[in-house]
Amino acid sequence: MNTTLLATAIVAALASAGAAAARADPAVVGLLAALAFAAITIWAGSAALALRAPDDCTEPRQRPAIAQPGNEPTLTRGGVFGRIWIFAIGAFGLATIVPIVSLGRRARVAVGTVWTAGARVVTEQGRPLRPDDIALGGVTTVFPEGHVGAQDAAALLIRVEDNAMLTNHAWAPRGNVAFSKICTHAGCPVAIYRHADYMLYCPCHQSQFSVLFGARPVAGPATRALPQLKLAIGPDGYLVARGDFSGPVGPDDWNRPA
Amino acid sequence: MITRRVGRFFDERLGTGAVLRAAFKKIYPDHWSFYLGEFALYCFVLLVVTGVWLTFVYDPSTTGAYPSVLALGRNDPIGYLIRQVHHWSAVVFVAAIIVHMARIFFTAAFRKPREINWIIGILLLVLASLTGFTGYSLPNDALSGTGLRIGMSVALSMPFIGAWASNLVNGGAYPGPLLLPHIYTIHVYFLPVLIALLLSLHMGMLVLQKHTQFARDESVVVGRRFFPDYFLRTIAAFGATVTVVVALAAVIEINPIERFGEYRYWLVPNPATPDWYAGWLDGALRLGPAVEWRIFGHPVPAVFWPGLVLPGIALMVIVAWPWIDARLTRDTAYHDVLVPPSAAPWRVGVGAALLTAGVVLTLAATDDQQALALHVPIAALVTVDRLAFAFGTIAVGLVATVFASNVRARRDRHGAESERVIVLVRNEQGGFEEKPVRSA
Repeated sequence: MNTTLLATAIVAALASAGAAAARADPAVVGLLAALAFAAITIWAGSAALALRAPDDCTEPRQRPAIAQPGNEPTLTRGGVFGRIWIFAIGAFGLATIVPIVSLGRRARVAVGTVWTAGARVVTEQGRPLRPDDIALGGVTTVFPEGHVGAQDAAALLIRVEDNAMLTNHAWAPRGNVAFSKICTHAGCPVAIYRHADYMLYCPCHQSQFSVLFGARPVAGPATRALPQLKLAIGPDGYLVARGDFSGPVGPDDWNRPA
Repeated sequence: MITRRVGRFFDERLGTGAVLRAAFKKIYPDHWSFYLGEFALYCFVLLVVTGVWLTFVYDPSTTGAYPSVLALGRNDPIGYLIRQVHHWSAVVFVAAIIVHMARIFFTAAFRKPREINWIIGILLLVLASLTGFTGYSLPNDALSGTGLRIGMSVALSMPFIGAWASNLVNGGAYPGPLLLPHIYTIHVYFLPVLIALLLSLHMGMLVLQKHTQFARDESVVVGRRFFPDYFLRTIAAFGATVTVVVALAAVIEINPIERFGEYRYWLVPNPATPDWYAGWLDGALRLGPAVEWRIFGHPVPAVFWPGLVLPGIALMVIVAWPWIDARLTRDTAYHDVLVPPSAAPWRVGVGAALLTAGVVLTLAATDDQQALALHVPIAALVTVDRLAFAFGTIAVGLVATVFASNVRARRDRHGAESERVIVLVRNEQGGFEEKPVRSA
């Protein structure tokens, strides 16, 4: 029995190594390795049971002996090391923290995005868009021209009916309306649009934003509307931005101004 | 024998023989539930072994990370399996820790003198979860990248130091060029070293204080000798852990990053759900109220409450539990003997309520998929989950308390009868001796 199990383990381990060397399917390699370990498990388990060793061996338990104050020399005696040690430790602690604080300050904080007035609205592939390129009910991710993928600049361009917008009608020429794609809740991409009720959904925490009301949050944990990108039709007939987003993009920290 | 010669070599130089002999003779109490922690330990061993291997193929740069993990596809059976085993071990690791912790909780093993080890255990759970989350983020796929951004948003919601902390990790505003290198260092160096340190303390304290037991005699440890009896058992526990994890890794593909694509901050797969142990935090974010208060003109981000306050409170309650328990039982004595869960029905109730809260929040992390499957609006599910979190936990706690007190009443009746049962053992002289009946 014991020999059989150990032999099984050895054969299975070698077979697993061989299968791996032969670039066999990982399932085969893995299951052979698992078989080897299963054999080891059964071998050790059955050997332990076969010992019939007693389960009522005993050894004494002792409580820790609490040390009583004796005549050992101490640092507090004679004022060598009085209460001031607390301040000493505090000072060392502070001296440790200050360099850590300087680590985070070295980094810059992004203020706004790269969208500027007159920037052409382009797709992920860099293709500029005319007002009729997106069909009614259609949606696409857009960036400012020359900045595809730029930090927090991603916007969703949605095509609604010409006069459908209930807020800032002028920012949506011919029903082309754009909002930041970064959820104001926890920073996920607000990736799902349902035209039936003009609703944007965030797949992470199911916040819903009503497009017609300026992407105001209507359900889920988000508290702030998705910042809107004011659009216009440029002189060459392509969609352009009129400036940066209408508000700070992405999730809040405690320092966002009112 | 070669082992004898090696042993002699070290014994002559270090005097290890006497130490080993004492270690081999040491008695460990035995119960199936005492192996739960060992499963976690052996998962950690697997994680270190496979993790070291993975450091030789992983590229922590922003552009190189995804392709370097993608290269460990099915046509590279060894690479594929090692990544699969690594991820599966992480998932089982956290699960084993939680089940182990539940055993400690319900049998009151955290009582004096083991409060310190209880806290170390909780720290290990937190570190294991953080290591899991940072490791899950390393492939830089669209799913984990989004999870990392959510984590960053929660970090951003820390009062006043949020932006600083986020900058620190990112090396700039999110997603900074140093984010992945930093996460990598944290994952492969900082957290594992801390875990190894605390794990050594955890087990060192176990040896020093000696394991708890169900046998009722407080003055002695009752159990099995380490060698060879317990030694073989722990090999079996190791083998069982590896067998289960490797078999899972071979059969069920975990985290198929090729299906999610590389992370771009504006792309996300749908549905988006994290690894199971982070589910309760994600669920809390989904159920959190849509409120943004202003405190002295500063906005308090909505994620602050479910993302930081809720886990913070949960953690504090669990850390303080040995002292809360001692206050409730008016018992500050030493305890080396475990109790059956039913001995304190209200403890069963509290534990059941805490576990229910965790389960409700974890389930809430898949509410979009449930809504789709059940054809109900998500908003309705959110309401149900919020009610379940607020009142369902209390209800389950009460039911569990009543159930446990019924069990205790039945135990007491049977216990009274079993007091009269005597086991007679034949001794070497041919006579009979009474042997006490051990409990549990």
